[in-house]
Amino acid sequence: MDQVEKIFETRELNVNMGPQHPATHGVLRLVLDLDGETVVNVTPYVGYLHRGIEKLGESLSYFQALPLTDRMDYVSAMSNNIGYVVAVEKLFGIEAPERAKFIRTMVGEMSRISNHLLWLATHALDIGAMTVFLYCFREREWILELFEKICGARLTVTYPRIGGVRNDITQEFLESLWKFTEEFPSRILEYETLIDQNRMWLKRTIGIGVISAEEAVNWGLTGPTLRGSGVPYDVRKFTPYDAYDRVEFDVPVGTEGDTYDRYRCRMIEMRQSNNIVRQCIEKLPPGPIMADAPKFTLHPKDAMFPITHPTKEHAFYIDEKVCKGCGMCLRACPVKAITGEKKKPHKIDQAICLQCANCLAVCKFKALKIVPGGKGLSEDKLKELAQAPLPEEITKAKEHLVEHFTFIKRGPRAPEGDLYVATEVPKGELGFYFVSDGSGKPYRMRVRAPSFIHAGVLPRLCVGHLVADVIANIGTIDIVLGECDR
Amino acid sequence: MTFKKFIKTVTFIEILKGMALTLSRFFSRSVTIQYPDERRPIAPGFRGQHALAKHPQTGEAKCVGCGLCATICPSQCIHVFREKGKVSRYEIEVLRCIYCGFCVEACPYGAVVLTENYEYSDYSKENLYMTKEKLLSNWDKYMPGNKGEEYFKRFWRPMSGDFETPSQQPMFRGKRS
Repeated sequence: MDQVEKIFETRELNVNMGPQHPATHGVLRLVLDLDGETVVNVTPYVGYLHRGIEKLGESLSYFQALPLTDRMDYVSAMSNNIGYVVAVEKLFGIEAPERAKFIRTMVGEMSRISNHLLWLATHALDIGAMTVFLYCFREREWILELFEKICGARLTVTYPRIGGVRNDITQEFLESLWKFTEEFPSRILEYETLIDQNRMWLKRTIGIGVISAEEAVNWGLTGPTLRGSGVPYDVRKFTPYDAYDRVEFDVPVGTEGDTYDRYRCRMIEMRQSNNIVRQCIEKLPPGPIMADAPKFTLHPKDAMFPITHPTKEHAFYIDEKVCKGCGMCLRACPVKAITGEKKKPHKIDQAICLQCANCLAVCKFKALKIVPGGKGLSEDKLKELAQAPLPEEITKAKEHLVEHFTFIKRGPRAPEGDLYVATEVPKGELGFYFVSDGSGKPYRMRVRAPSFIHAGVLPRLCVGHLVADVIANIGTIDIVLGECDR
Repeated sequence: MTFKKFIKTVTFIEILKGMALTLSRFFSRSVTIQYPDERRPIAPGFRGQHALAKHPQTGEAKCVGCGLCATICPSQCIHVFREKGKVSRYEIEVLRCIYCGFCVEACPYGAVVLTENYEYSDYSKENLYMTKEKLLSNWDKYMPGNKGEEYFKRFWRPMSGDFETPSQQPMFRGKRS
């Protein structure tokens, strides 16, 4: 009899779910301890999509690090860009112009809609409602096409810039976006017709993954995952950034804190976002789209035209009287056209010179002169021409060009110090923490990713429920592993 | 269970409503595109394969080889080599490029662009390592005629107009629908 009991001993079954599992929304690995169908313990393992974005951010300038944020939460790349840009702007102490702020709010809310659509699609697909998946992707495609119209990319947009946005929107875009906002509420109604009262949907969501308000706060949940438990915390309301203090919207909250409440919250949020987009279109003010902060933004290209335009054939010439022979231009020249000994005036070999202006940007003594139309002239002629005063437009263009080169080679210099700025991305509170040592690159860039914190709450939600509810719980906390692992 | 709820439960009303919706979609126009046969329109300014711009008059590359694109590139996929007075090699590792478009923005000379071509998958890495010749031929292929100029006008940013209020700006002109 003992022998028999030993053979048929009841043991917990250890199941490995993921990292390649269609319902884990990425490469999330869960180790489930099962007692029959009931989950006894869940251990989430993250890090399969770790690309070291925080460390990479330390080796790139503030301007260059922007595309990294696209690749964190790739489902709502625009919101991530905005989060980064808002944080860096605060670090630099600059402010985007009004029009740029409204455009950013507009595209940020579009990105929220597209994120919630993808969430609803996959969440419903996981639970078993395939039709909603197809319907949601139809509208998501529409939004992605609108993104393509403004910035040329559908997913990894890189549209906002430090101090504004990349380019102005077009009239055609505004009108098609308005058309979208008119159509969209009826589309939300369609999704709701399909699942809102559906008995299978209700059975799979009501009372699943219940978390009380107090516990949700203690776990550090943010975004709709927290609001489903009845806590009206929204960064857009509490510390408004961009144009959120000038648009009206409600923050929907749930009561029970279960999967169904979180679903309802996100559905209402989509409607609110749609409203915000409409308000932004209506209130869109005229004005510049880039902040007037020459040290922190790229320089206008047309201001450099007098020098950089292909038809302008100029030559560079080193003024012997001014050159101190420091050797900076010598090192900067990519073709070694500049020769000369230390502490003696240098010379440019006009036959080799590319006219690339690298030397111009590094010369501290302003010994480098531009000779308009001097390409191919003899040395003596250049010497003679270099003494003549330059036209004003070329002097201005030279200033812009020098600053443009410095900006790209060194990156915008941030003041020393550290700061944390949070923004509300569709998943929750996305925070950027910068430590700056005064150079062009952050000393430390820390990202508070909502997905990472939400992945941690999975054991609390799943234990005691059935295996099938694990899927519902992964869906309801809305995680993207790209952001979680960074 | 109230009477109303009972009726709802036994008649499957909510499921029937959903079925009616899917049935109505059955008769509406399909939104899917049969990809290789039909293609969706690409918006201007699409960030696809690279090209080196040519001088409108002389037909030579506009690139002078300053190397700003190579400096700003976050994935460091651009390599510029110069020899006495000219750019001898200009190479882009397409497989490493992340299509952020920073090279276009960094170039003060307007020499590099991202074209609308997105169908250039290949079996070998060599073909996806763009040399100067390939990049220049891309310009002829994908930016013919006036297209290149139009591209620079709209997507080579920022311009002075972005820092001030232009006279004509896209604005909302009332509900039209």
